[in-house]
Amino acid sequence: MPLLRFLFVIFALLFAVPAAAQGAQTHITATLLAESDAPAAGSRVTLALAMKPAPTWHGYWANPGDAGVGPEFKWTLPDGVKAGPAQFPVPHRLLIAGLMNYVYEGDYAHLIALDIPAGLAPGTRLPIKLDADWLACTDEVCVPESGSFAIELTVGGGERQPARAAQFDRWRAALPRPLGSEARFQVTGGALRLAVPLPASAQVAQAYFFPLTDGAIDYAAPQTVRRDGDMLTVEAKARDGAGDLAAIEGVLAIGDNMGLSLRAVPGAVNATGAILGASAEAKDGFAATLAVSFGLALLGGLLLNVMPCVFPILSLKALSLAKAGGDERAARAEALAYTAGVVLVCVALGAVLLGLRAGGQAAGWAFQLQDPRVILVLLLLVTAVALNLAGLFELGMLRLGGGLSGTGPGGAFWTGALAAFIATPCTGPFMGVALGAAMVLPPAAALAIFAGLGLGLALPFLLLGFVPALRRMLPRPGAWMERLRRILSIPMFLTALGLAWILGRQAGVDGMTMGLAAALVLGVAFWWIGRRQAGGRSGWLALAPALAIAAVLIVALPRTPAVAASERQAGGVLAAEPFSETRLAALRGEGRSVFVYFTADWCLTCKVNEKAAIERSEVADAFKAKNVAVLVGDWTDGDPVIGRFIESHGRSGVPLYLFYQPGAEPQILPQVLTPERLTALAV
Amino acid sequence: MTKPILIATGLTAAAAALAIAVPGFAEQRTGAKAGNFRLNDASGKVVELGQFKGKTVVLEWHNPGCPFVRKHYDSGNMQKTQAAAAAQGAVWLTINSGSPGKQGYMTGPEARALAAKEGSKATAYLLDPKGVVGKGYAAKTTPHMYIIDPSGTLVYQGGIDDKPTAKQEDIAGARNHVLAALGEIKAGKAVSVKESRPYGCSVKYEGVS
Repeated sequence: MPLLRFLFVIFALLFAVPAAAQGAQTHITATLLAESDAPAAGSRVTLALAMKPAPTWHGYWANPGDAGVGPEFKWTLPDGVKAGPAQFPVPHRLLIAGLMNYVYEGDYAHLIALDIPAGLAPGTRLPIKLDADWLACTDEVCVPESGSFAIELTVGGGERQPARAAQFDRWRAALPRPLGSEARFQVTGGALRLAVPLPASAQVAQAYFFPLTDGAIDYAAPQTVRRDGDMLTVEAKARDGAGDLAAIEGVLAIGDNMGLSLRAVPGAVNATGAILGASAEAKDGFAATLAVSFGLALLGGLLLNVMPCVFPILSLKALSLAKAGGDERAARAEALAYTAGVVLVCVALGAVLLGLRAGGQAAGWAFQLQDPRVILVLLLLVTAVALNLAGLFELGMLRLGGGLSGTGPGGAFWTGALAAFIATPCTGPFMGVALGAAMVLPPAAALAIFAGLGLGLALPFLLLGFVPALRRMLPRPGAWMERLRRILSIPMFLTALGLAWILGRQAGVDGMTMGLAAALVLGVAFWWIGRRQAGGRSGWLALAPALAIAAVLIVALPRTPAVAASERQAGGVLAAEPFSETRLAALRGEGRSVFVYFTADWCLTCKVNEKAAIERSEVADAFKAKNVAVLVGDWTDGDPVIGRFIESHGRSGVPLYLFYQPGAEPQILPQVLTPERLTALAV
Repeated sequence: MTKPILIATGLTAAAAALAIAVPGFAEQRTGAKAGNFRLNDASGKVVELGQFKGKTVVLEWHNPGCPFVRKHYDSGNMQKTQAAAAAQGAVWLTINSGSPGKQGYMTGPEARALAAKEGSKATAYLLDPKGVVGKGYAAKTTPHMYIIDPSGTLVYQGGIDDKPTAKQEDIAGARNHVLAALGEIKAGKAVSVKESRPYGCSVKYEGVS
């Protein structure tokens, strides 16, 4: 028997070995593919080495940070074919036991530009071979991995496979964009300061500088980021000898997968201006600062009470408490229930946001409110509350816990929940920034901030419940309360008006009309309910068809996206149109001269040129006189179509100025423009 | 408008403060006195840097599970460098700053067995499970090398060589910085390459971040 078992084990092992070799593969699965399998002779085709790390594994950026190594690429190419350096997407930070790693934790790709020599006959086969080495690590272990990849391209017309093109566009969008102007750095008192020209108008919530040049800064050290006008500065602990560097290269990340590649040369840097959140890391105790921010959130919540959409609910609730008379216990129970309702809804909203964030979505308050359907739901809710305050119908008959005018702890709880929920549209637009900041905190701390907001919102009512003296200061109940309730419906209607306006901005006149129609249907339903209530009957069934109609309208609501980026830049004195290749071709087809310029909100050179040279009346007059059309492409969000177009003109970023004369090759204008240079074009 | 500003300020302040506190990595300056330390070796004996005054000392950060360490041990490159150090009377201290439970952590007997199996020519194998000495020298990778001259001055810190890969075939064409520095010290010359970028796995210190 033992022998048999021994043989069995040997047998099993023999079979297990190849199976394991197959199963082990690599922890980062790499695939080499070309954007076009049939590139044209004399053109440039983009290759991608797509990397898929298994869960918990990560790959490394060109500069791995304190440990690890970046990947290496060795090409074997046919004569004349040249591969450019591998391009790296904007990396992420991973701090393990005090050591900084610059990594990719999700799928990513290295893009490589391949130059196909001119003069190759169509049908020529081009075998492309790549040997790549990369390091795959978890938080605990590292495994050096490698792969050999062979693909064959055939010289053709340069057609892009549509499915693959979209994938390549996504990879392109993840690459850092060249800043377009030079940065400066200075080493003073053990700190390295980096000054990056960035227009004051460019929105940056957080920033981090990933140095490509080793020996400049301590990777694990916190970075302090400041904005002052058109300058962003980063300050971090310098490494010995950083002052001797001739240049520092790196990527300034200014958002998720949004980075600007830059090169800094020595020069004076003044670190002035407001400190930007997120990456500025103070050394104070965690608990102390948490307490401070909780306190500020509390204060913020307190101030929410006077918002036009919250105030009416609160005042009515306070009066109902006064009505309850001298019963201490009932008053306290009600105050506590109300507080619980407010805090729970605030924390729940916070938890939903954190959940979305954990799910990888770029979610924030403002983001949600950009969806017109969410606005419409809030519009209908606010309208319903306003109609109720105006006395069209009563909620008291709805045994859903008491509603607005209900009493008892249950009613108070729901009032609190409603108040917190209703507060969101009023605060949404400016809460966006603040909640964005909360998003970068650890979940527990972020939730504490949401709870602080809720507690602040509930505080006045809580005080009323626990301090009888305050309650005695409230006026005696009477018929005037009904009148007050009617009056308080006015701010509520104003809130609805504001929401309708936002809806109009987002979904156009049609969308706003649909929203108002939904509100009308709802109003009629409530009116009918009110009539029946006056007759002593219940009429809540009438709400069902009204809600159904509203739901249909919500789904059908046109969703014109927020004004497209290029349209934002378009117009102006030049009457510029948004750039597209088809529009360019059409204009050239008409035999017109065309001036095309590409810009981005974060590009200072672009903005300076636009102010000083492009958007000038003399330029506009000259262009108009000669019928020169103007197209503007906005690359702020990294539009891949524009990116490809820029690339095809031998540039990697903005600014790019092109002038097309009828029947001639486009002329690439210098990156620094003057009005004279432009008016001289229109001849 | 005060309200949103207040909230924003509050949250921003919180965001600013709640970042990760970086544990104290104290860098040793090349050209300055190397910080003294005391650790237990694999057999429990106390070893102090100061006791080797008058001798050249090489420090090597080690993690037996790290592929970059494997590259230099499986090829015999590290043992060869250790032998060269021993031949000129230098002391070689291999230090493991891996935390218990993490990759490469070893108890004394395990470390002794491994050193014997791999034919290590190191003077001693030191255990630094709390990472005190590792952080005191800002050791970041395995391997990470330091050379202290007979006067106690740190004369080299960085990688073992200038080919940051995990492939053994790259050793032949690489400049072994430690071997070169030892040769220069022996010849009474100044060390020409005083610092280089260390490469390898991160030192598996205790704690998560």
